Amino acid sequence: MKSRVLVMALVAPVSLLMGQEPSRPSRKNEAIPSSLKPVTWERLRNAAEEPQNWLMYSATLDSQRFSRLDQVRRENVSGLELKWAYQIPQIDRAETVPLVVDGFMFITEAPSNLVAVDAGTGRPYWRYEHELPEDLRICCGRNNRGVAILGETLFMSTLDAHLVAIDARSGSLIWNTKVADHKAGYSKTEAPLAVKDLVVTGIAGGEYGIRGFLDAYHPETGELAWRLYTIPGPGEPGHETWAGDSWKTGGAPTWITGAYDPELNLIYWGTGNPGPDWNGEGRMGDNLYSDSALAINADTGKLEWHFQFTPWDVHDWDAIQVPILADLELNGEARKMMMWANRNAFYYTLDRETGKFLVGKPYAKQTWAEGLDESGRPIRAPGKLPTREGNVVSPPVLGGTNWYSPAYSPRTELFYVNAYDGEQEFFLREEEYREGEQYTGGGAQNVEPIDKYKSAIRALDPRTGDLRWEFEIQPRSSSGLLATAGDLVFGGTVDGYFFALDAESGRELWHVAVGARVHSAPITYSVNGQQLVTIAAGNVVFTFGLD
Amino acid sequence: MGIASLIIVFLVSGSVGISQPTEAQENPFDTEVDERIGGRVFLSECGRCHGRDARGNDETGAPDLTRGRLRTASTDAGLFQVIRDGIPGTAMIGIGWAPDPTIWQIVAYVNTLRIDPGDYDLPGSVDRGRGIFNGKGNCASCHMVKGNGGRRGPDLSTVANRRKPEELKTDLTDPDETVEPRWWTLKVARADGSLVEGLRMNEDTFTLRIMDAEENLWHFSKQELRSLERIETSPMPSVAGTLMASEVDDLVAFLFSLRKESGT
Repeated sequence: MKSRVLVMALVAPVSLLMGQEPSRPSRKNEAIPSSLKPVTWERLRNAAEEPQNWLMYSATLDSQRFSRLDQVRRENVSGLELKWAYQIPQIDRAETVPLVVDGFMFITEAPSNLVAVDAGTGRPYWRYEHELPEDLRICCGRNNRGVAILGETLFMSTLDAHLVAIDARSGSLIWNTKVADHKAGYSKTEAPLAVKDLVVTGIAGGEYGIRGFLDAYHPETGELAWRLYTIPGPGEPGHETWAGDSWKTGGAPTWITGAYDPELNLIYWGTGNPGPDWNGEGRMGDNLYSDSALAINADTGKLEWHFQFTPWDVHDWDAIQVPILADLELNGEARKMMMWANRNAFYYTLDRETGKFLVGKPYAKQTWAEGLDESGRPIRAPGKLPTREGNVVSPPVLGGTNWYSPAYSPRTELFYVNAYDGEQEFFLREEEYREGEQYTGGGAQNVEPIDKYKSAIRALDPRTGDLRWEFEIQPRSSSGLLATAGDLVFGGTVDGYFFALDAESGRELWHVAVGARVHSAPITYSVNGQQLVTIAAGNVVFTFGLD
Repeated sequence: MGIASLIIVFLVSGSVGISQPTEAQENPFDTEVDERIGGRVFLSECGRCHGRDARGNDETGAPDLTRGRLRTASTDAGLFQVIRDGIPGTAMIGIGWAPDPTIWQIVAYVNTLRIDPGDYDLPGSVDRGRGIFNGKGNCASCHMVKGNGGRRGPDLSTVANRRKPEELKTDLTDPDETVEPRWWTLKVARADGSLVEGLRMNEDTFTLRIMDAEENLWHFSKQELRSLERIETSPMPSVAGTLMASEVDDLVAFLFSLRKESGT
């Protein structure tokens, strides 16, 4: 054996002994061909008109997760079959929502990596691997949910609270900007959103006593254009809703991608729980703007209006759901609506021009509120706060829904949400803030096995919040949804199914076992005229199409 | 580190994953005070994923730490290393930024979550309990122990790793108190009207698997069923009416002897 071969034989087991998982055979990064055209702001603004692509986290700026593709439809969806699978060389559960641009797919991988593959075959072109420090502070797994693209540059959040810009053709790093200090509990997991000539991106760390914010960066340089703190500082309106110095550690992160209305020039973004999560004794007040929908001027970062779903939250019901924007008539009047099924188990329709509350009612089991008042503010039920002994409340920490993307079909005019009628016992405990350590003030635990509770995909009428149909899931789902012009709704389950339902009736039309939890959201696109549907399950990205 | 020096490390140590402390090291912070402090740190640093009660978390995929031996750490030193360094390539991240004594205190706390037979002085006789299990109690007709017995109840070969004596007693005298969904009964009516009833071997969104009283396995697609009924009580009768209190104690003593011993 020649010496070079001997070196390789020795080095390979070293990496295994160090606990690194074996990776795929090393490939040299290969630039993708010139058929990828720059993704201009005009393309993003009109993304619905190129359904062969999936150009942003929620497909279009209105976040409807609706595709005009109809090659796969109710009549033939049962013929879907596997076209290719891409194995992510990490064993974390993938939460990625890939982008597809002109036949190329960009998939984020745990912990903070990005790979470009051929969207028709799954064959890789290049991989960007982000070097991370060892002292990450992350509450809930090594997650990354996707990237944004503008021009020929991809933008990705990283677990060490950086934002990186990567050349879409080569995978080369263009810039790397520190957004916040990871040692203080900040991290980044969400897919950024390109808005005109800026890249808008949120922050995670609501379990570490951070002060949340939403940022916009210049795509060419990585310089900060504006920052909106989600907790007002001294002298700003809303600051008085935090007792003492609690605003400094009040959380309100922005860890899921929002939406944008070009006509109103407003960015809509949800905020997470106030901190500490379950002990609100030290932060009396409404705790603005935690658990809120924010409407933000895209050029200046100025807050135009807000709607708080859960004032003084003590159950960890983040309002980071993806806002869905659609225009419908309500009582004979055309309305610019925002649809929102909140983690607190209430469904809301808001007027997205003004933030005015239009519709609200429970879409999942809840015991914490007697209802909503005329302004949409919850009327709290007595005796439903966390206690030192434990107190059973619905919904559970994971909510009536959570971060799982909903969908909306303009064909059926229905809003589709992954709902859960659960409950948990909520506890309160004392906790002092120490920088970089978890700061939650309590916890929750299951009362019964999850099989006892009802989980369902529900179709709601956004004009009333009424249930139109439901499809029961056993035991439950943590999948996002996709609606298509083929009148289909796609989703998955925690025990490894991927399925398609009739968007009008909820009837099951097709399912396949993908062997591991679906903890991401499906996308659809087409390559060479063939419609494909992609879903990440476990750590594998599966793509299906008709024969 | 260059390749040459990496090779030297490999050849000299025989293992690059050098553990500090050594595998044999016992926990130097294992008093009751340490356990309490460790419990508090566990709640803030670990409870988010593993659950406040350490019984795991469906959303995060973090395992239950209360049941028997831990998969990735069978010694105190191993557990220390997992808490400090995490498990590479998984969602289990370490808290290496925390001081070593704090990590040892978490180890002490996690060790309290598991059942220590030394904590119990039971009144019953293991031998008499074994006899009741296989005889008068008729337990073996449904329950398997180390390969012998029926399949219509949980395999009890290592039941003492997951159930305390008082819980075992409740299981025997009030079987409906805690019924895992796996042991619910399903009654289904097929399209032709015929009925099948049996244990809920598996149920997901689309299918059912049932084992009937003769231990026959049935598989159904939910779409093909006319009706489905779940019975969430236990098919097991209480022993309260058939065994004397001392016999129940004997049976508990026997069941609490059924464990997976360290190193096996």
